[in-house]
Amino acid sequence: MTPLSRLRPYLARHAAVCTFSAAGLLVAALCGVLIPWLTRDAIDGLSMPDGEARLVRAVASILLLATIHGVLRWLSRRGLLVAARRVEQSIRRDVFTHVVRLPLAFFARIPTGDVMSRMTNDLGAIWLFLGPGVLMLMGTVVSWFLAVGFMFRISVTLTLAALAAAPLVVLASREYGRRFHIQHRNSQQSLSAMNAALHEDISGIRLVKAYGLEAEMESRFAVSARDYYSRSVALSRTSATFHALIGLISGLAVAIVLLLAGRQVIRGELTPGGFVAFNAYLAMLSFPTMALGWVINLFQRGAAALGRIGEFMDQAREGTEAIPAALAPGRADAPMIEVRNLSFSFGDGERGEVLRDVSFSIRAGEVVGLVGKTGSGKSALLSLLLRLQPVPAGAVRFRGRDINEVPLPELRRSVSFVGQDPFLFSDSILENVCYGMAGVDREAAQDAIARARLAEEVAGMQGGIDTVIGERGISLSGGQKQRVTIARALCTGAELLLLDDALSAVDAETEQAIFHELMDVRGGRTILFSTHRMASLSRCDRILVLDAGRIVEEGSHDALLAMDGVYRTLHSRQSLATEIEAAT
Amino acid sequence: MSHGRDGYFLDDRPDDRKPDLSLLRRLAPFITPHGGLIALAILALALGTACQLAGPWLIKLLVDRNLMPRTASGAWPLIGLYLGSLVAANLFTCLQMLAVSVVGQRVILEIRRRLVARIQTLPVRFFDHTPTGRLMTRVTSDVEALQELISSGLVSTIGDAAMLVGTATMLFWLDMRLALVTFAMLPLLFLFVSLLKKSIRDANREVRRRLAGLNAFLQEHISGIAVVKAFGAEGKADRAFGVRNDEYTAETVRLTRYYSVYFPGVELIASITVALLLWRGGVRMLSGAVTLGTLVAFLEYARRFFDPLKDMSDKYNILQTALAGCERIFGVLDAEPSPEYGESAGRGAAISPPPEGRAPAVEFRDVWFSYGGEPVLRGVSFVIGEGETGAVVGATGAGKTTILALLIRLYEIDRGSILVNGRDIREIPRTELRRTFALVQQDPFLFAGTVIGNIRAGGEAVENALAATGVADFAAGWPQRLETLVGERGGSLSVGQRQLVAFARALARDPRVLLLDEATSSVDPVTEQALQNALERLRSGRTALVVAHRLATVLTADRIIVIHKGKVRETGTHAELLAAGGIYARLHALQFGDP
Repeated sequence: MTPLSRLRPYLARHAAVCTFSAAGLLVAALCGVLIPWLTRDAIDGLSMPDGEARLVRAVASILLLATIHGVLRWLSRRGLLVAARRVEQSIRRDVFTHVVRLPLAFFARIPTGDVMSRMTNDLGAIWLFLGPGVLMLMGTVVSWFLAVGFMFRISVTLTLAALAAAPLVVLASREYGRRFHIQHRNSQQSLSAMNAALHEDISGIRLVKAYGLEAEMESRFAVSARDYYSRSVALSRTSATFHALIGLISGLAVAIVLLLAGRQVIRGELTPGGFVAFNAYLAMLSFPTMALGWVINLFQRGAAALGRIGEFMDQAREGTEAIPAALAPGRADAPMIEVRNLSFSFGDGERGEVLRDVSFSIRAGEVVGLVGKTGSGKSALLSLLLRLQPVPAGAVRFRGRDINEVPLPELRRSVSFVGQDPFLFSDSILENVCYGMAGVDREAAQDAIARARLAEEVAGMQGGIDTVIGERGISLSGGQKQRVTIARALCTGAELLLLDDALSAVDAETEQAIFHELMDVRGGRTILFSTHRMASLSRCDRILVLDAGRIVEEGSHDALLAMDGVYRTLHSRQSLATEIEAAT
Repeated sequence: MSHGRDGYFLDDRPDDRKPDLSLLRRLAPFITPHGGLIALAILALALGTACQLAGPWLIKLLVDRNLMPRTASGAWPLIGLYLGSLVAANLFTCLQMLAVSVVGQRVILEIRRRLVARIQTLPVRFFDHTPTGRLMTRVTSDVEALQELISSGLVSTIGDAAMLVGTATMLFWLDMRLALVTFAMLPLLFLFVSLLKKSIRDANREVRRRLAGLNAFLQEHISGIAVVKAFGAEGKADRAFGVRNDEYTAETVRLTRYYSVYFPGVELIASITVALLLWRGGVRMLSGAVTLGTLVAFLEYARRFFDPLKDMSDKYNILQTALAGCERIFGVLDAEPSPEYGESAGRGAAISPPPEGRAPAVEFRDVWFSYGGEPVLRGVSFVIGEGETGAVVGATGAGKTTILALLIRLYEIDRGSILVNGRDIREIPRTELRRTFALVQQDPFLFAGTVIGNIRAGGEAVENALAATGVADFAAGWPQRLETLVGERGGSLSVGQRQLVAFARALARDPRVLLLDEATSSVDPVTEQALQNALERLRSGRTALVVAHRLATVLTADRIIVIHKGKVRETGTHAELLAAGGIYARLHALQFGDP
């Protein structure tokens, strides 16, 4: 799909407005071009006996034409520019709708800044191209041809002389267009690099200070800022020489035409009025020539932007796989989760195979713990159960169905996930807790907050449950954030709860209290959670032990302890102290 | 990340106040070093304007001396001069544009560097309250707006004014009566412009405000995309985004409508003026009061007279945006640096007596501290001897993390004193103080780069650090090994892996005092054990202060400091504290007690 063809469906919706606007611009340009013609009549008429009457008639016609010109330009500008805004609006909406449905792997690959940049700067470039760009193109092209037409009527030789410079201008514009393109790209790249250096400096400021890296960060920034400076100056230089060149070419052309026209007037081949009108048309030509570079620039930027947005639009959304209609919905008696010979590696190829030949199953209502060393694949495994990463066919069954055949909305309604990094929206605590629900339910939220052992702290805040958090509100501690995410997960009607080391920033006392509460009031929910705190695992029905991507042990706490394997090692390290204590 | 002028972090505060022109005076020191270029630009501007004004005058002479009498004598020099004026005007204009643009770029380069230098010296408190995005705006879009002002605003406004005065002079000089006709139209133009000016300004402000909201929403939902997906909230996000998108578009459409009428309106007034001039000029020509040449030149001057007036409203907008940006930029440049960056920091060494004998490595003496509200620390005192390991334990929010931050002077204490090797930290030069320590944060920040690059940021002792932390072991499984990219903030690694890398970075620094902030909370017991062993080795001759919930970390500590509600409630060794049966004993039973 070429970049421009993406616009067709959007433009089709505004076809009528665009047609009317184009027609309006055409008539307006015609009026504009007729004005010098009437000026010529007026001036030449002055030497006639009824000079003054002719003058008044010409001036009246000019006033009329100027008014029509103004009104038409107003209406068609408005039509065209507003249509371009509407197209921008639709594209922005469609891009957002598409992007939020792209798989998580996409976001791991593309930095936030890049996604933002395409959805803001590139969309802006598309508007500039569709609105002012097209408007200017239509206006200048039409005026140019009409002006040339009238010039031919005044004098063929003069017109040919005036146009002699046009190929030179086109050549120069093409050459410089290419240079502009390259230099714009370079300067955009170095701007990005500068911003990245800055972003890192600010977001890591505590570390920068603690490690005394100020000078290093400063010089890193200075290098990129100087690079951006020199690229910007290079761009200014190119732009200045381009304008000087075009000015020189058109200046020469005007002087030559003036020379020829003067001779024609002296010889009586051209009237003084014709001379004046021709001069006016020449001025009309020079503006489109100047604007050409600008329009070329806008079009190139717009096309590049469309291409960049197109790259996103071409990415396949997740959950669009065809789901066999014949398949019955999940069976109630089937295991909640059944994993068979699951092997997995992240798409980026950076980290090799994360899970190897993993098999286990979890019955509805079970509480299962997941332990293992850092990097043993716990987070990867949990994210697969939610299909946040692509799941190999047949490897994971959810209620008896291949997880890939469960429609995504249904799957994610049934499973509630709490990750390691608590992410909250800058909104009230209430809105955050109710994020997974259709609407806001104050009572349910209060209940969930209480179960997450957060009620007391929330009550102590100025706005209570309506306190706004995040960028525009207060910031919560790591432990508080984690507990809000727990409350958020509890508020959904999900039957399976996945907790990925979700309480690491909460102290041991609170973590245990929350886990016990969860187990007591879970109301038939199935829970799979990972943690590093062995004490929290004692009440699990079963524990899975992951090591280097494999499940190496499985069983109850007591059974695993008796096995003398990885679990026992993990556990004994933490209770080492108790043993030392007992011995002494 | 690209923030253009239409970047997404414009300040929420609308710029609706009258621009404070005195801010321009503050820009002077940045501009004066480029006096030569500025002088060149102004000279080029003056010459360019003169050349442009000469054009129609030469045409008038040509019409009156050659065309109307139909004689070629003396035409050549006129045409030569005309060509010369065209080419020269163009060259001068380009020269002026280039000079001004270079000045603008140099000024903002300097401002950017000073901003970043200043930002780094600001107290951490400042960063606690200022979102990264907003601070970035200072260095990106605010500076960009300033450049726009210098490059295209300031000099071109002078140019416009010069052109306006020059054209008006020519008009009056050519023919007083016709000039009055032109000026008679000015009130109509000003009325039209002022009718629209306020609406355009309001709409502009609304557009910026809505755009900021739209982009904030966008950024939040991209950063939190995993949550959106996990809760199947894509539809919810669509609807919320749709509302913001529609609101934003409604404002841009309003602005577009105003601009659609603005330019054709100004053009219409200009056309009416030229038509009236043609009429009055024609009549005066018939009576012999003016020549055709004068009329032609007059029409040309009148047309040019309106050009600078056309974008008056835009110029005002640029000025307003730039001055608002300027105010915010100077706000940052004027912000008081944190005391440890001050001129006199660490110069008072003479005040504190030289430590007698072996002073404790770290000592807190009745330290009080608050983040602005309730005190977080209330009279905390403790001592960690040289070579000892101190462990701080306590419930969440007890102020444990704060102790580490205060020790490296990330915040200033309210009362009491902190001593390192017997010297008050306020009297130790910043670089020396911070070289003494290596901090491992709770949520470790990694720079986007390679694993090894992050470790090298800590210091020279890379080999030691790799061997001790086992980073090399887990990296061995990756195709790129230590050259593996860690992504934005280290996001490609698991939290535990990030902690290990941060740990290695701290060890690479080979610090006298190691500061660990719950750095092991996401590391499994086996890895933690490995770290403990490494620590054991590395601790010889080194002091350590550790914030941890885990027994393995505190077990070997020489001194455990139990913090509860901002106060030190217990201190002692593990055995002593267990025996005492206080808070520590209770915590211990909960976390480590045999089930």
